[in-house]
Amino acid sequence: MMSAIVLPFRRTSPDATPVDVEDDTTAVPRPARTAAGVHVDGWGRDDAFVDRISAVARLRWDVAVGGAERLPARAGALVVVNARLFSLAPVFSALALGEHTGRPVRFVGRPDTAPVGALMRRLGGLLEHPDEVANALAAKEIVVMGTGRELHPQRVGRVDHRLIAAAVQERVRVHPAAALSSPMSRSARVEVGTEVNTGRSRRGPLAELELADAVRRRILQLMEELSGWRSAPLLDWLPQTGMGGD
Amino acid sequence: MAGQRVLISGMGGELGSRVASLLEEASWVGELTGIDADPPRRRLRRATFQRVPPAQHDRIVDTIREFDPHVLVHVATWEPDARAGTGTAKVLTDDAAMSVLGAAAECRALQHIVVRSGIEIYGRARGSLTRPDEDTPVNPTSEYGRMLAGIEATACTTGERVGVPVTRLRFAPVLGPHVPSPLGRVLRQPVVPFSLLADPPFTVVHDHDAAIAIAAAAAHRVDAPVNIVAPGSISTFQAIRRGNRIPIPLIGPEWPLFKRMSWLAGVPIPDHVEELFHRGRLADDSRAKALLGVAPETETVAVIDLLHAWESVIRIPARRAVA
Repeated sequence: MMSAIVLPFRRTSPDATPVDVEDDTTAVPRPARTAAGVHVDGWGRDDAFVDRISAVARLRWDVAVGGAERLPARAGALVVVNARLFSLAPVFSALALGEHTGRPVRFVGRPDTAPVGALMRRLGGLLEHPDEVANALAAKEIVVMGTGRELHPQRVGRVDHRLIAAAVQERVRVHPAAALSSPMSRSARVEVGTEVNTGRSRRGPLAELELADAVRRRILQLMEELSGWRSAPLLDWLPQTGMGGD
Repeated sequence: MAGQRVLISGMGGELGSRVASLLEEASWVGELTGIDADPPRRRLRRATFQRVPPAQHDRIVDTIREFDPHVLVHVATWEPDARAGTGTAKVLTDDAAMSVLGAAAECRALQHIVVRSGIEIYGRARGSLTRPDEDTPVNPTSEYGRMLAGIEATACTTGERVGVPVTRLRFAPVLGPHVPSPLGRVLRQPVVPFSLLADPPFTVVHDHDAAIAIAAAAAHRVDAPVNIVAPGSISTFQAIRRGNRIPIPLIGPEWPLFKRMSWLAGVPIPDHVEELFHRGRLADDSRAKALLGVAPETETVAVIDLLHAWESVIRIPARRAVA
């Protein structure tokens, strides 16, 4: 009786031509299957999840967006929006702008703890860290950040100049935006203003401080034009509201 | 630059063998040799090979000094629980790094060092960046990350002393049909755990893309770290479902129990893989194309699909009567 040592590899078929290692088809992978069912992008944002949450959010808010055409079509941009306590303005602004621009729009301010942080990352949330914002802007993303939170609807909180510095560093546009919503109605509005430019050339950190102050002033101006929380899309055609006049 | 002598440490591994076969085709490479504890896994035509265990410092030093390389490609890194347990992997990696880089520093012809590192080096501490780029401070939070930080530190010190550029290639988890990977092994199990509360995104890189990046780094004298990751990302749950595996949602306290059960089943989950399952692992790779001229092409989702499609090893009894 003869014995043969059989190596522990899978055999294809007895008649199959031996495949050289160099001809191994796995060497240069060419995936045949598409990525159906996978919606997570390079930042962890899940398109399918965003669509579902947007559908749910539409039950609560009817968001009108103005000035979205001012945002760049491909380049990165930082949008600074006023934030009131408990209003989630950066989140619904990012969702609304994402729908209007057709680009994934990210927002700053997700916590780094599960499950809330994980859910917000799926929506496009970024950590409130200048390097995180700078990396996103360098990757040509549109990022929405909120001002400091205020209780009064006609006030605008402090603009974090460290995050503005990220935009200065990456040389991307900074747009002010006014987000208005009311706890009593479904109507909400996000109005994006034109790019803010201080008009001065600074070599040091004064550039971001001045830009932050200028952005804050422009947001206040936009909010005054929107007539505060009483504004509604139906009234926007009236000339005294000053919509689109900036 | 023609006629350069290139030495690959870790040529016996799948990644080292692929790099060797790519460098064999490069016109600027004159002589090509490699050292490792195991022989190469591919047919090499031009390259020579010296089989030397990492603990034999004297032999490694003699071999490298005798060859006197212009370019050193250091791929000899043992990922914990890939081919050796964490403790053994740490010792082997440290031995290889000290011997090889130390010997290379004594070579007068040395002009460039390329070392294999990983994005585990950035760590995933609370508040760490979602997509760290190469400027992000190194803050490893796993044993493998600390091992890689050690290799980079040794290589940088060597490079500074000798005055040669050091390219640190920080790879996402490398997956390939013959690459021993604890992550790949876990994902190919019929039942795979995932963090129900986090389900974070992660990225990987195909071993062929990784080899191309190493070969390109050997040709470009870049003195900087470079992230090498596949485009896109995938969440752990999606990675499990794409392979039609059964996902087991875990919340937290049951992870240690599952890890022990998995270890008993022959599929250990080292801390850097557990960290990936809990906190994800992404990195920014926008500099790779600019610095090396190449960037991974196979997307993360495609690599995961290939991982699930690769043939399994079927155990057949060693002896069988044939007549």
